[in-house]
Amino acid sequence: MIRVATDVGGTFTDLVYFEIDEKTKKAKKISNAKSDTTPPNYEQGVFKAIKKSGISISEAIFFAHGTTVIINSITERKGSVTGLITTKGFRDSLEIARGDRPDFFNLRYKKPKPFIPRYLRTEVPGRMDFLGKEIEKLQLNDLKKIIKSFKSHNVKSIAICLLHSYANPKHEQVLAKKIKQQWPEFEIVTSSELTREWREYERTNTTALCAYVKPIAKNYLDNLFIELKKYKFKGNPYVMQSNGGIDTFESTKKTPLTIIESGPTSGVLGAAEIGKLIGVKDIIALDIGGTTAKCSLIEDGNVKINTNYWIEKNRTSAGYPVMLPVVDIVEIGNGGGSIAWVDDYKKLHVGPQSAGASPGPVSYGKGGNSITTTDANLYTKRINPSYFCGGEVNADIKSVDKHISTLSKKLKLTKIETARGIIRIANNNMTNALKLISVNKGHDPRDFTLVAFGGGGGMHATSLAMELNIPNVIIPINSAVFSAWGMLMSDLRRDFILTKLNKMDIDSLGSINETFKKMETKAISNFKKEKIHKNLIQFQRYASLRYLGQDHSVEVLLPSGTYDKKELNKILISFHKQYEKEFTYSLDNPVELIQFHLVAVAKIEKPKLEKRKKTGREVREAIKSKRKVDFDQLGERISDIYDFDKLEPNMVFNGPAIVEDSSTTVVVFPGQRCKVDDYANLHINTQKKK
Amino acid sequence: MAKKIDPITVEIIQSSLQAACDEMFIAMRKTAMSSIIYEVLDFGTAVTDSNGNIAASGAGIPAFIAMCDKAVQAVLKKFDDKDINPGDIFATNDPYNGGVTHLNDVIVVMPVFSGKKRIAWTANIAHWPDLGGMAPGGISADATEIFQEGLQLPVIKLFNQGKPIQSVIDIIISNSRVPQYTKGDMWAAIASIRVGEKRIKDISEKYGRDTFEKSVDLFMEYGENSSLDSLKKLKNGTYYGEDYLDNGKKIQVKVTITNKEFIVDLRNNPVQDTGPNNASYDGTVVSAQMAFKGVTSSDFICNAGTFRPLKVICDEGSMFNPIRPAAQGIYYETDIRSYDLIWKTISHLNPDKSTAGSFASICGTFMGGTHPDTNEPFIIIEPQIGGWGASAAGDGMSANFSAFHGDTFNTPAEIHEARHGLYVNQMRLNNQEGGEGKFNGGKGIIMDYRVRSKNAWVSVAYTRSKTLPWSLNKGREGSANYIEVIRKNKKIEKYSVVTGLGLEPGDIVRIYTGNGGGFGDPKKRNKEMIKSDLLNQYITKEQAKKYYGYKK
Repeated sequence: MIRVATDVGGTFTDLVYFEIDEKTKKAKKISNAKSDTTPPNYEQGVFKAIKKSGISISEAIFFAHGTTVIINSITERKGSVTGLITTKGFRDSLEIARGDRPDFFNLRYKKPKPFIPRYLRTEVPGRMDFLGKEIEKLQLNDLKKIIKSFKSHNVKSIAICLLHSYANPKHEQVLAKKIKQQWPEFEIVTSSELTREWREYERTNTTALCAYVKPIAKNYLDNLFIELKKYKFKGNPYVMQSNGGIDTFESTKKTPLTIIESGPTSGVLGAAEIGKLIGVKDIIALDIGGTTAKCSLIEDGNVKINTNYWIEKNRTSAGYPVMLPVVDIVEIGNGGGSIAWVDDYKKLHVGPQSAGASPGPVSYGKGGNSITTTDANLYTKRINPSYFCGGEVNADIKSVDKHISTLSKKLKLTKIETARGIIRIANNNMTNALKLISVNKGHDPRDFTLVAFGGGGGMHATSLAMELNIPNVIIPINSAVFSAWGMLMSDLRRDFILTKLNKMDIDSLGSINETFKKMETKAISNFKKEKIHKNLIQFQRYASLRYLGQDHSVEVLLPSGTYDKKELNKILISFHKQYEKEFTYSLDNPVELIQFHLVAVAKIEKPKLEKRKKTGREVREAIKSKRKVDFDQLGERISDIYDFDKLEPNMVFNGPAIVEDSSTTVVVFPGQRCKVDDYANLHINTQKKK
Repeated sequence: MAKKIDPITVEIIQSSLQAACDEMFIAMRKTAMSSIIYEVLDFGTAVTDSNGNIAASGAGIPAFIAMCDKAVQAVLKKFDDKDINPGDIFATNDPYNGGVTHLNDVIVVMPVFSGKKRIAWTANIAHWPDLGGMAPGGISADATEIFQEGLQLPVIKLFNQGKPIQSVIDIIISNSRVPQYTKGDMWAAIASIRVGEKRIKDISEKYGRDTFEKSVDLFMEYGENSSLDSLKKLKNGTYYGEDYLDNGKKIQVKVTITNKEFIVDLRNNPVQDTGPNNASYDGTVVSAQMAFKGVTSSDFICNAGTFRPLKVICDEGSMFNPIRPAAQGIYYETDIRSYDLIWKTISHLNPDKSTAGSFASICGTFMGGTHPDTNEPFIIIEPQIGGWGASAAGDGMSANFSAFHGDTFNTPAEIHEARHGLYVNQMRLNNQEGGEGKFNGGKGIIMDYRVRSKNAWVSVAYTRSKTLPWSLNKGREGSANYIEVIRKNKKIEKYSVVTGLGLEPGDIVRIYTGNGGGFGDPKKRNKEMIKSDLLNQYITKEQAKKYYGYKK
């Protein structure tokens, strides 16, 4: 029996699998394989990776899949022609957006262009109010005309978003049903099946994007499924969602925008799972890739999600909102490929521009002439020049030297000072991002463990931890294919979110209790359609609370069951506490519940991980060589170079040291101590020995 | 002589300053009570050096970038060093005394100490929705003295060494028509400057006080050098410009540009208004700063150094520099017109940035009444979005907030209806004529508020209702900003300035914001673009024929 996860990334398609012992149900072996990503027929890359791994898919009992297909078809504008039907008076909502302009001094600012042009944005009369009461009947007299126009413009997919449908989705449902009956050739997405949150522009844009990618996503998942069947796959395949869970192909095909961030999410989930395995509950997850670094905070084992997610938003563009539950990730343009540059005033910057995969960093010798963070790490010999990319590439040291020299002349620094400077600035950018998710929200980094992965995780994590006073760093085994690993550890998860205003007082208790109950019933019937029994489902309730009159809210974890006065007071106390933690004060003002959030998780049976075997090898036998490594202010030190693959449980060694395998480099600073755990994860204590 | 600081440390300190301002900004946005703060982002945060020179800022509104420094300087003028201690918090809203704008904008500032030495200040300016005054929301077109516009906080102490001065706070709260909001907004502002104080202290302690202070100085030098370099690219000379206010009065400016200076001479302008259409000298300086920044460099570096080459001259007693106790409630329409005038006069100097005129009004809209479902009072205070000017590079942008706004968000119809108990019947692009050109001005909006409550009222004070957005190179002028009140009996009233106009259930307040000015002869517009305009119903067939000479 095997369990397989595949992750289609921008450049590579990763595959990770467990072989499971039939008797003990324990994972015998974790292995991985990599293949090139193959656009536009992404499924081919998946099967190439399967072939390369040598596994037989007919033995798989579990297949989880993460993909960038959705986000790619959005960023490359390769979705289907989409039409919009909205409430009379609001067809311009998509174009007006919110009127914001982050590029302050640019009077020629251009708003992001809507995904549906004005001539495909249509209106129907009919009104709900904010309480969900119908105040004007839905009128469909013009529907025929609308559909005719859609057909003449080759529309394939229709987005339906009506005002106040979060409070009452009836009109949307009637409209969708009518189109489905009469014109089954269209794909349809209604806003209310995606989200029940208010703000019409955000909801309309989310619905538009979902309809835009739906035909492609359906086609893709269908093809993948047919191929899997060809290889005699017998289990149920799943797709990684942006909310940190997996879901079935069937469910994903209905609203495929939910997998928009499936890759980054599974890495965060992996960090949470590692934590569970070794008993660490408060974690800062950090994923340093080629162009960006992403971080997320895990508190008490729970991955945080929110629905305020935007794509293509930056300091010069307002971007597009996606109002769906997405793991709360802060992303910055700093990765291994980020370019170091000097401005007209002799100031050094790193990123957000990246050298990408081609030409890549200077050291790749593929014609790149912009020094990147990777080059600086190589110049300081933190990366092994003679084992570059696992020995697959001959590092072009000469070019690195030449281009660092150019930068250093502009800066009037020495070459080594320049290389150190690049690393320090890159680290500072990442430190600021880490502060945003921790200190800024009232969390003390000293209470957390930094779990770092991705190509650059091990290279930077230890200095970041020192900067933020994080006492412990964990570099997980398989850190380079960590996202795929995270998928293997995930459960079926669906988030149900509903905007519904309730005062947090005794009079509202009935309404609050009833709403949660209704949501749970809905979740159960939702899972039932896919033959998932209600006994397998676990609920987690959250409520967004705020002081009456405020807009932003704090999401509070609620107990299950029916609430009474006593319970209500407990909830209020925990709200005030959480509010004060985040914002330094609390008020005695009345409190309002603005949003219900129900998480329904259907647990999937997962194998227990096997520990790494001990051969009784001595720690010094894992040392493959020694080299001089530059540790910035601590200077150049002769360091032990450890082979990651030879490390065994309970081995302990001190920095200065480097741990390497073919895809990972871990920097252990002088004074830091590294311990190998039972699963061969590295634990690095950053508190200096006295 | 201190030892030389390495440039990498300097860079890290400078970017940490920016990060601290951003963090202060986020803290305020998340905790504020009033939608004008958290949604419209009518607020800003800043860090200054120990003498009140702006070092870095975070703002939702470009107009708020360089404001907080004046308040810090006012504190330093009024208080002796021995009365400025760790944990103190000061506040001002007095436009004649560091408050810059109008009484609703309250600035709170806090000194940052490292050891016993003051090394910086953190500051926050935000629009508090009501601090008393003759009209709800404080702003009335009928005000003739600042005393009618609310409670004045003439550079006062709010906290003494970490302890709130409760009696002062009580006075402020009890002077507000919406005390809960005021209390919440005040605490949000305090939370925000405290976050900043802690962060700045950490930075200074980590790198050392001298290194910190030196880095701040260097940052300002950097800002100054960047401005001087941009100035060198503009053609030296003296440029004259004029425009007309909706009341027919002429406004004028002379801008003199040399390699080292950018002098804005606003003398010989109308004497101060007997009403609230005045802007303080500090406010006028902010207008000039924005125009200066717009024509020089559009990067995000904005500190005291950036504006060192700028000088602003105004007559005392004029609408751009009034004498106490002139009212200033509607300062923003005065500021945006002086800004617009300067922009019109100099934007051609930088062909990569120049544009035709925009709707150039905040279109501040105030409504109030009793929510028909909850029976609670509500106040709407909101700016409107409108059309921007076209340029040689293409059509202007539709439906965006004015140049004074930045990362400002409009209020969704769904939230309006729930929170304010009215219906938003429509929110669409303005299909009126105006702004046609080879490149069209961006479109304004048409938005309807249908009233539900019995005792509702509306106040507006829009500018550019008569003098329309200017065009360039034979394009057509843009269109007007105004409102219509469509009574239940279908009678239509039209206003651009009105205070406390009574409304009945069923009445509709229809807001029109202007299209921006066009660029180039409309007859020269590309045929494919006209076809697309027709397909998208941005223009009618008749308009296509009439203005663009388009025949199918």
